[in-house]
Amino acid sequence: MTPRPPFRTSVSNVLIIGTGGAGLRAAIAAHEAGTEAVVIGKRARKDAHTVLAAGGINAVLGTRDPEDSWEQHFIDTWRDGYYLGNPRVIELLVREAPSVIGELEQWGCDFARTPDGRLDQRFFGAHKYRRTCYAGDYTGRAMINALDARVTELDIPIVENQHVSRLLVEDGSCFGAFAFNLSSGERTVYIADAVVLATGGHTRIWRKSSSRRDENNGDGMYLALQAGCRLADMELVQFHPTGMVAPEEMAGTLVTEAVRGEGGRLFNASRERYMTRYDAERMELSTRDRVALANYTEITQGRGGPHGGVFLDVSHIGKEQILKKLPRMYRQFIEYQMLDISRHPMEVAPTAHYSMGGVVVDPETHATDVAGLFAAGETTSGLHGANRLGGNSLTETLVFGRRAGAAAAARAQSIDVQVRSRSRIEEANAELDSFIKEGTEFVRPLQRALRDNMWEHCGVVRSEQGLKQGLQKIEELKDLLPQVDVRPTSEGYDDLGHALNLRGSLFSAQASLLGAVERRETRGAHNRSDYPQLDEKLTVNLVSRLTRDGEFEISAEPVAPAPEHLSHWAKDDAHLEAKGRLLE
Amino acid sequence: MKVHLRLLRFNPETDGEPHFEEYTVEADPMDRLLDCLHQVKWRHDSSLALRRSCAHGICGSDTMLINGVNALACKVLVKDMKQPVTVEPMRGLPVIKDFIVDMEPFFAGYRAVKPWLIPDPDAHEPARERIQTPDERERFDDTTKCILCAACTTSCPIFWSDTEYVGPAAIVNAHRFIFDSRDYGSRERLQILSGKGGVFKCRTAFNCTAACPRGIKVTKAIQEVKRAALYDTF
Repeated sequence: MTPRPPFRTSVSNVLIIGTGGAGLRAAIAAHEAGTEAVVIGKRARKDAHTVLAAGGINAVLGTRDPEDSWEQHFIDTWRDGYYLGNPRVIELLVREAPSVIGELEQWGCDFARTPDGRLDQRFFGAHKYRRTCYAGDYTGRAMINALDARVTELDIPIVENQHVSRLLVEDGSCFGAFAFNLSSGERTVYIADAVVLATGGHTRIWRKSSSRRDENNGDGMYLALQAGCRLADMELVQFHPTGMVAPEEMAGTLVTEAVRGEGGRLFNASRERYMTRYDAERMELSTRDRVALANYTEITQGRGGPHGGVFLDVSHIGKEQILKKLPRMYRQFIEYQMLDISRHPMEVAPTAHYSMGGVVVDPETHATDVAGLFAAGETTSGLHGANRLGGNSLTETLVFGRRAGAAAAARAQSIDVQVRSRSRIEEANAELDSFIKEGTEFVRPLQRALRDNMWEHCGVVRSEQGLKQGLQKIEELKDLLPQVDVRPTSEGYDDLGHALNLRGSLFSAQASLLGAVERRETRGAHNRSDYPQLDEKLTVNLVSRLTRDGEFEISAEPVAPAPEHLSHWAKDDAHLEAKGRLLE
Repeated sequence: MKVHLRLLRFNPETDGEPHFEEYTVEADPMDRLLDCLHQVKWRHDSSLALRRSCAHGICGSDTMLINGVNALACKVLVKDMKQPVTVEPMRGLPVIKDFIVDMEPFFAGYRAVKPWLIPDPDAHEPARERIQTPDERERFDDTTKCILCAACTTSCPIFWSDTEYVGPAAIVNAHRFIFDSRDYGSRERLQILSGKGGVFKCRTAFNCTAACPRGIKVTKAIQEVKRAALYDTF
């Protein structure tokens, strides 16, 4: 019998890492441009985290509000991101949003319709007009279904169960990735002319998180760092105002903003509708950072409920409306709490929800600092600034997935020769070997310690002292990493995946903590108890990179300027009208 | 409370035949069967092989035969199960190990019905979205809920014995496009489904409808596709 090779080799033009919205859209773009695309992902096909996105996807179609314009969408996004977003990224997003929705509709996405048959649009927090398309409260799943149907039709291969341990870089150019199969352990070198990283964010490293277990653990950001990319805005993490508080293993699971979009009201334990004290105009539909801080304040000042949450009540809109507009939320509470939300309020608390920072990319092509490496979706930075508007991220996955996929294909078609390096491949293979050993530490307790640490020291409200303690703890955990026990047996290679995830989590956690220390101000989602005011001088992006010896280096970079006319408009239009914005 | 489990185990490297093994785990009445299986895997025998991913009933990867009925392990509550709980792999697909079956025959049936939107070949790219009324949208709403978990197909007695039959899930996914007013591939799909492995293999056993964790009216969808094929109405 031939001995089993140490690893297999797979060759394609464009390798896409991640099977969510951004990854699938990139694959379609690369295929349509005429290149061979291969998509690899950790999980089963159609089980990417995008399926959990509930509320909707934004595009100015003017279906409901004809006076809406891309300029207004730009302004809402830029201003409510506290001017930290890259204006060019935002402009591309808002201008191309209608066409990516149109495509999705062409591929059969079952969006909700208006009575005259057009794509319906609803309000989302802090948008001036109705511009959020939706499919009930399972928009992400509807999107993935449509994208997957297109991928099936084009016969683009999706390889499941693939965990990437390293991006392969030689001479400043990325030529593929090293991966192993989570069930069989079989290793594969994926060689490609260009790689698209679509690996999501890092919010699972907080104790309360809207992310599923073992996802969004920052490993994609680590892969990019290690390959030589810069990360920006890592301290800017969106805490969604409303996550479930019970049962324990479900704590943090999202209660979609659509609940408030459909008229849900927030109360504290004494039935006070407290948003009047935080944002009397926009109330529950204020920006997420404000509502999250309001909920956090009510809870920490002792006005919360029995499980340490506040109350979100949607019972006044009636059971029929709830079943039609919020079917998944209705089911979620019935299934996990035996609670009928058409009769009783839900208890909710803030939960880590979205990484607004991430890999630094070129606005047009989403190319990273490393030649041949592109990135798209939550794993990137540049769009959301210090506060993300609901519904913008699904649009982001499609607009920039498409751009990254096309740019990756263009690179594949333009290069004469692609550098490969056997020694880089051998290094990656040896690195995996080095993780597999008996050790004195187990991954789960270390993960738990990390998540507690981030929640306590880098949560909704932060301070210099806490952040420093948080960094100290990260160092301690990093020291334990080499002693982690990884023993793959016939049950699979999950252990190895967890250990690599932990490594990624520790690095992305450190980047967040370091950024949070440097951002000595309060802006958007970043609240500093010791610096409660916004500091104009900090209208910068905090950028981190790894030095040769693996240490972080952090610096402030100026935010790109916005076109003159938009910048004026944004400042003139600072006072939003709240009238008619609730869907009651 | 204590939960007694009887699991049908099979390891191709060592076992000639599948056999039952028994385990007892501690669980809350509101826990799910998947939590119990995790306990077995994490505390008793790490070699237990099963697929699971989201644990929320969305990904459709942990379908098993639970006390003789197909269901998702992440959806069945401990308090609702008769003890001892007998768990077997789905029927009608080759077992690879324990609860992991080869899904390829299932997905082959799915791909055969062209489960994607086929647009009007004569239409110009519309400048905006195609118009579809809420009623037209409603027509295929039920079948958009499919998560391809194979609970219906592997509970179908016809699928067990007839390798040509595409199975209920494939027909559900064909239905989703056949009755979508934007789709122009229906005739093509109905031709495929009128063939040997198609809808007329169905003998309305209704097992599929009972098994669907999403509550899709599977048999009804199949009957609608039969009717469309016979009378050319869709």
